[in-house]
Amino acid sequence: MDPHQSVREGLLTLLPRLRRLARALAGQPADADDLVQMVLERALARSEQWRPDAPLDKWVFAIARNAWRDELRARSRSQNLFAPEEAGITTADGGSAPTQKLELAAALAALPPDHREVVALVLIEGMSYAEAAQLLEVPVGTVTSRLARARATLQAHLGNAS
Amino acid sequence: MNPISEETLQAYVDGELGADEAAHIDAALAHDEILSQRVQQARAMRAQLKSLFDPVLDEPVPEQLSALLRPAAPAVSASTIPHATQTAHRGVGAGRRRSSRRWLLPGAAVAASLAVLAVAFWWHAGNSLVRLQDGQEFAAGALSRTLDQGLASAPDPAAVITIGLTFRSTDGHICRTFVSHASPAMAGLACHEAAGWSLPALSSYPASEGGELRQAASDLPSAVQAAVDARIRGDAFDARQERAARDGGWR
Repeated sequence: MDPHQSVREGLLTLLPRLRRLARALAGQPADADDLVQMVLERALARSEQWRPDAPLDKWVFAIARNAWRDELRARSRSQNLFAPEEAGITTADGGSAPTQKLELAAALAALPPDHREVVALVLIEGMSYAEAAQLLEVPVGTVTSRLARARATLQAHLGNAS
Repeated sequence: MNPISEETLQAYVDGELGADEAAHIDAALAHDEILSQRVQQARAMRAQLKSLFDPVLDEPVPEQLSALLRPAAPAVSASTIPHATQTAHRGVGAGRRRSSRRWLLPGAAVAASLAVLAVAFWWHAGNSLVRLQDGQEFAAGALSRTLDQGLASAPDPAAVITIGLTFRSTDGHICRTFVSHASPAMAGLACHEAAGWSLPALSSYPASEGGELRQAASDLPSAVQAAVDARIRGDAFDARQERAARDGGWR
């Protein structure tokens, strides 16, 4: 099977998880799917860079994370009025979410990108600290401390809300 | 005993500790109520985050995404497509390309950021428009005033909140759709009850393809439209009925 076809079939299997990750990063469903589309296009264009002995999901999630960062940068350049740090999130079930979920979604949306991405990779995607560290190209200790600070911020929001 | 650091505790919750360290925490948890509460709190947050995003896994994948991964689709060059289908195929491709560039247009980017910020800001900055009573959301402040006084048939051009449809719901209450154009734009459905205007649907108000925020309240987010469809009895009120309902205190 040629590499392009392997990647394409692997992407099809990964799509639900990729959409979940994109939703956690980009927030709004339409933005998240635009991000997914960009990731699929990039992954297909670079399919010969993927080595079949490497896990496809990590490779694709790294593309997703970088595409999201590119988009944040592009938005901050073109639109200084709106702080890119605040690119937010909505709940998966749209407008009818209970208050507690809205609070958590809002708190996640308010996290800086460094913190939001470790929450998305570790707490939502379920990666180990080491896997997240490799994907983000930072030491494991950095993942641990960002995650601890992100958790503290989220917990403080939830605490204030109730 | 040494206090257990926040980072060690989260590593325990996330299954990152070795067997020895984990056993040490297990032992400490058995007689430390506060520690055990911290663990439960961290576990609860992890579970809440999962429950927020895991439903995405079960959503149907949008056609425009799965189409990218079909063997014959975008990678096929025009020359290999049978002549008769060429025109149609080009048409599909052009549509896809347009949509993939939509969010890069400056106008669309502004509108998209607005939509992205919407729910978070609505809650934090705009929470004076919503109040909670017995765990239920009700309109407050300017939203409540507009729902009480505003008429879709006589819109106030300066108003930030505009009213769309007014109708009688199947359970007898009068309900109204609204859009708040204040950044970030939000749309919702409000139903008049004894305690005020309850808010069975509240949603960020997405940008249109053209990059402009939608102006017409008739074009509602699907969550709000679904809430209307689930409740409406008969037709929406006309201007006379709307005014009469207001004069009657929305009963």
